[in-house]
Amino acid sequence: MPGTPYPKEQMHRIAYTKLTPDQILEKLGPAAKSGPTSASALSDVFAGKSIRIVTDNGGPALAYKFSGNNRLSLAENGGAAMDAGYGALTLGNIVFFSHLIPGTQRGYAVVVDQKTNLATAIELWFSGYEDNREVQREVYYGYVDQPGEEAPKGRHAATDRVEGKGFYWKQDAGPETLEFFPSAAYSNFVELSRFGGELSFCAPSDYIKINDDYYIYTRTECEFSGTFTAYVMDLNRIQQAGVRLGFDASDALEYYVFRGKGEWLGQHAHFEKFGDERGNPVPAAAPGQTAAKGARRVYRPFKTMAKMTKAEVDAACAKRTVAFPVRTSGPAAGMGGNLGPNTDFLAGKTFTLRYDHAPAIEYRVEDAENLNWRKEGDANWTKARYQAWESMPGVIMFGHLLEGMPDHDGHAIVADFDQGLVTCFNGYLNTPYFANEAGVRTLFGVIEMEGLIPPKYNRHKFTEEMLGRAVSQNYAPNLTSMHLYATPHSLSWIIFTDTDAGGLEWSGPGAYVKIRDGLFFMYWLEEACNGTLGTILVNLHTMRDVGVGYNCGPNGLSMSAVGAHERLAGEFDIKRFYQVPTTGGAA
Amino acid sequence: MSPKEKAAASTRRSFLKRGALLAAPLAAVAAPAAILVDDELRARLARLENEAAIRELHQAWLRRINAGAGDAAMLDPSVSGIAPDHSAEPDAIEVAADGKHAAGRFYCAVETATEIPQDSTLGQMARAQGSGFLRRTERRMLKVEYAKTSGVWEIAKAELAPA
Repeated sequence: MPGTPYPKEQMHRIAYTKLTPDQILEKLGPAAKSGPTSASALSDVFAGKSIRIVTDNGGPALAYKFSGNNRLSLAENGGAAMDAGYGALTLGNIVFFSHLIPGTQRGYAVVVDQKTNLATAIELWFSGYEDNREVQREVYYGYVDQPGEEAPKGRHAATDRVEGKGFYWKQDAGPETLEFFPSAAYSNFVELSRFGGELSFCAPSDYIKINDDYYIYTRTECEFSGTFTAYVMDLNRIQQAGVRLGFDASDALEYYVFRGKGEWLGQHAHFEKFGDERGNPVPAAAPGQTAAKGARRVYRPFKTMAKMTKAEVDAACAKRTVAFPVRTSGPAAGMGGNLGPNTDFLAGKTFTLRYDHAPAIEYRVEDAENLNWRKEGDANWTKARYQAWESMPGVIMFGHLLEGMPDHDGHAIVADFDQGLVTCFNGYLNTPYFANEAGVRTLFGVIEMEGLIPPKYNRHKFTEEMLGRAVSQNYAPNLTSMHLYATPHSLSWIIFTDTDAGGLEWSGPGAYVKIRDGLFFMYWLEEACNGTLGTILVNLHTMRDVGVGYNCGPNGLSMSAVGAHERLAGEFDIKRFYQVPTTGGAA
Repeated sequence: MSPKEKAAASTRRSFLKRGALLAAPLAAVAAPAAILVDDELRARLARLENEAAIRELHQAWLRRINAGAGDAAMLDPSVSGIAPDHSAEPDAIEVAADGKHAAGRFYCAVETATEIPQDSTLGQMARAQGSGFLRRTERRMLKVEYAKTSGVWEIAKAELAPA
């Protein structure tokens, strides 16, 4: 059987082994001696040379002697020299090299600008976090000491200048990725070749400016394999040179330096004040405190999420199930802070939503907040609290819980009464991985109501029109996020800091349905996260969204409303990467 | 003493005498007036000293509020900063006649920071990155009542009113 491009489990579902320090040390041993592998020829730019890198703020002094293109000796802070394998690659005047330190779980990735003699040394180590396989890093800025010469005054520096960019990369060994930088602290990557490109994932990242043309980027795949990637990128030639260090899903060591070539996919807006080019917008330490070595703020949703059984879900839902709790004003309104007014459009109406591949649901709507529903054919009606919004004339979004359903279903519905069409995101619980993690079925269908003739064949459809776009959502002052529609089946969300820099970011499976021109109904699942099903109806004309969140946790089941003012931040040109090529099969 | 010297002394004495005579009625009425002036000066001095002490107390209190020392609790726990509003009316401190009570009125820009509810992923992520507060700045009038106990001014009551 020919293989597919898809893994058995997506990255967020892989139960990565908890490697011990001894196991890691053993696996690193050979690579520390031989150096990283490389599909491209290693550079001998430093062969036969000695350099001494001095770093600021108590960072290490690194005295290197390079012999050939794969052997070096290093004396740290004037200590004894030790021998190791290394690999170096160049990109213009920039040299990137990496090595491990034999007998330890440590190593370095080093960038030297031969023109300015400025250097950045990234110290790397394992077993620095409770998950030993997660690579830790500390970035040191400095320079190559030139005996008899004054130290250069400039330094490479953390920056937000990469924020908003997106690239397609193909490495020399074959891996292809899409990489988006919608944050100055995190990044979003799509593993096109390793994982089939279905989902995008997010990782804490560093962005370091070498000069206006060259930047250093890092990411650590926290919450996943813990693998570390760093590279220098040339923004004009769209080339990269870097290193990958970590353990894959089968615990095999990946330690190689790579070259890559890519394509520029676009630039979307970022929202810091003009002139604010600072990096590291999410400080590792609280104000007034000093960050520990390697510290950074990492969003760890899988670690912190409640993981419940079916019995626990049933008990929690029995204890508390609430739909659209009374809205508060001010900060307590949270994600409902910019929610528009409800509509009573449905009040007094009787209609049936007939889905193509799910039971039809009959409705008798009492008023603007109460309705009665039943499955077609059932004798009894069930009363439910609902809320509705008219996002575009004739298009009503509403949601309600379906009390009594074994999987505690909730429906987020968009009904176009001018077209007679309906789409429902049917949320449900008791899903395979964690019972409180929401699943979703997308139901397409028609509205049946007296005086309304629905279409026979036409339906709302999944769309790729939103793909590549970034749209910000301001729910309330200081409560702003941005969606990046990164793949046809997932989206990521970026949380802005108090200075409106892109901060923490995460992603989940999602889908997009076109309701009308400029009106899109979409969902995302916070899998291995909070388990929430988020749904929003985005009106690109009014730049407002309304939506319904469906969540189950130890405090019970809830359906709540969200609403935001939006801004279109831009669009990446990525649709072509998700087309199935007209190749393959047996010749 | 020569006759010339006698004459000069006599003239000087008579001048002094005349002056004394002229001054006498003035001194006779100035004695109670001086006491009044003295009282007024003392009262004015006391008032100025009280106002200065209250102003110092007020400034120290604002510094603690702006430093997040928790001193805004009596006002509103969400208050995270108070800055003078120089475009508004000047500050006013009125010390009561008993010298033991006073009231202050200060126009200011009040920053509030209210914790974003943690019941959403967005709220949790905002908190995780060190923010997670809704911040607002509004022009308000800060009304403060002071009391002097054992010679030391203290804030008895403080409230924010619409500016």
